[in-house]
Amino acid sequence: MIPQDIANTIVDPTAFGGSGKRVEDAFTWLRQEKPLSVAQPDGFDPFWVVTRHADILEVERQNDLFHNGDRATIVTPIELDQKVRMVMGGSPHLVRALVQMDNPDHAAYRRVTYGAFLPQNLKKLEGRIREIARGFIDHMASLGSCCDFATDVAFLYPLHVVMELMGVPESDEPRMLKLTQELFGNADAELSRSGNKPEDAAQALANLQGTVGEFMEYFNAITEDRRANPRDDLASVIANGQVFGAPLGVLEAMSYYIIAATAGHDTTSSTTAGAMWALADNPGEFAKVKANPALIAGLVEESIRWVTPVKHFMRTATSDAVLDGRIIRKGDWLMLSYPSGNRDESVFTDPFRFDIERSPNKHVAFGYGAHICLGQHLGRMEMRILWEELLPRLQSVELNGEPAYMDAAFVCGPKRVPISFRMQ
Amino acid sequence: MSETFKTWQCRTCGYIYDEAMGEPDEGLPAGMRWGDIPADFRCPLCGTAKTDFDMIEI
Repeated sequence: MIPQDIANTIVDPTAFGGSGKRVEDAFTWLRQEKPLSVAQPDGFDPFWVVTRHADILEVERQNDLFHNGDRATIVTPIELDQKVRMVMGGSPHLVRALVQMDNPDHAAYRRVTYGAFLPQNLKKLEGRIREIARGFIDHMASLGSCCDFATDVAFLYPLHVVMELMGVPESDEPRMLKLTQELFGNADAELSRSGNKPEDAAQALANLQGTVGEFMEYFNAITEDRRANPRDDLASVIANGQVFGAPLGVLEAMSYYIIAATAGHDTTSSTTAGAMWALADNPGEFAKVKANPALIAGLVEESIRWVTPVKHFMRTATSDAVLDGRIIRKGDWLMLSYPSGNRDESVFTDPFRFDIERSPNKHVAFGYGAHICLGQHLGRMEMRILWEELLPRLQSVELNGEPAYMDAAFVCGPKRVPISFRMQ
Repeated sequence: MSETFKTWQCRTCGYIYDEAMGEPDEGLPAGMRWGDIPADFRCPLCGTAKTDFDMIEI
């Protein structure tokens, strides 16, 4: 068993907050001492903690043996899990998006939007995305010599790209951003829907239900509109899509919109904000990439590894299995710790160094196997374009205050990155 | 005259193998033909088997 203080740390949203060092230290200890072992934090059911890169790949590639949807896909306290099941007719999920599905549904639902996210189709959007990026860089330049790069640029640019792709009007973007932050920042007093850190499971659930309900109300209207008047946007693809010869289920369609309207931009925003934080902390890397734009692809990939905005997903064993010599029993719950896999000393040389020339850089930030992030090519493209446009104009950057990660144990990125800068 | 280079795409994640570029991180040099890649090759991004790639035109 994993010591109780470590077990409690890896599910504690505040351990991911601030500098993130508290949880980083916990996973470093686990990789060395108990790389695959069972944790039972206070108030939680026991689960295996999978900390090594190779073991994460091994679980992810066997998606019939390790299911996403049989139990909660996010580590959830017993009391909250019980309350969710009560309101969802026994299901542990408030939404049913691709990340909560297994085959055959997963493959069928993924096919609905698969084409939209292929590199050859995204390439057609490159010109428009570059135009959007330039607009936000002009905005940054207009702020003078100081800004919060997270809130002034990084949160807004991927949001605008994804909302335009989806067909959500620009006037609704602030609402989409607020709902996204409520969903992923429910444990953060600065971001949660109730404006405080939820005091108990009932308040945590009320917050989540309020946010999900507002999303559903919004996208229900969008569905009706796109069924009546299809357009060339992602909302129309979802509204008019078919699985097994019928329209998408109502919960599934709503969940599809919600995941696109939240994870579709928040993870790219977090990575972009974290990249600027890392460049300000590492002036040598900033100088290198500024002098040699061929390194931008490496900057993007290292930023993704560095931030790893999705901190975990849970899997459930569908039968007895052996993983790294340990026997996993049918029904066991497993936490795949992506940030830990991306700091695995046996895979990454000097893993705590931000190195834009790292090669190879086979991180697991997008997952692996059938559930690999559908939007990975879009996220990479957005970040590449932003840096291609920003770096020629950005002459210098330094931190101008204390950056901080949000308090969140699931999807987590910087909530502020104050910088001072000079731009052309 | 040598045959033009082709591109192959992973059905799971959309990764593209371009014969002209190869995939040096995977030990596949530029110019390596799809047919010359070992049968146990897996998609470098998601691990999908070589048999689950399609030839595409881009």
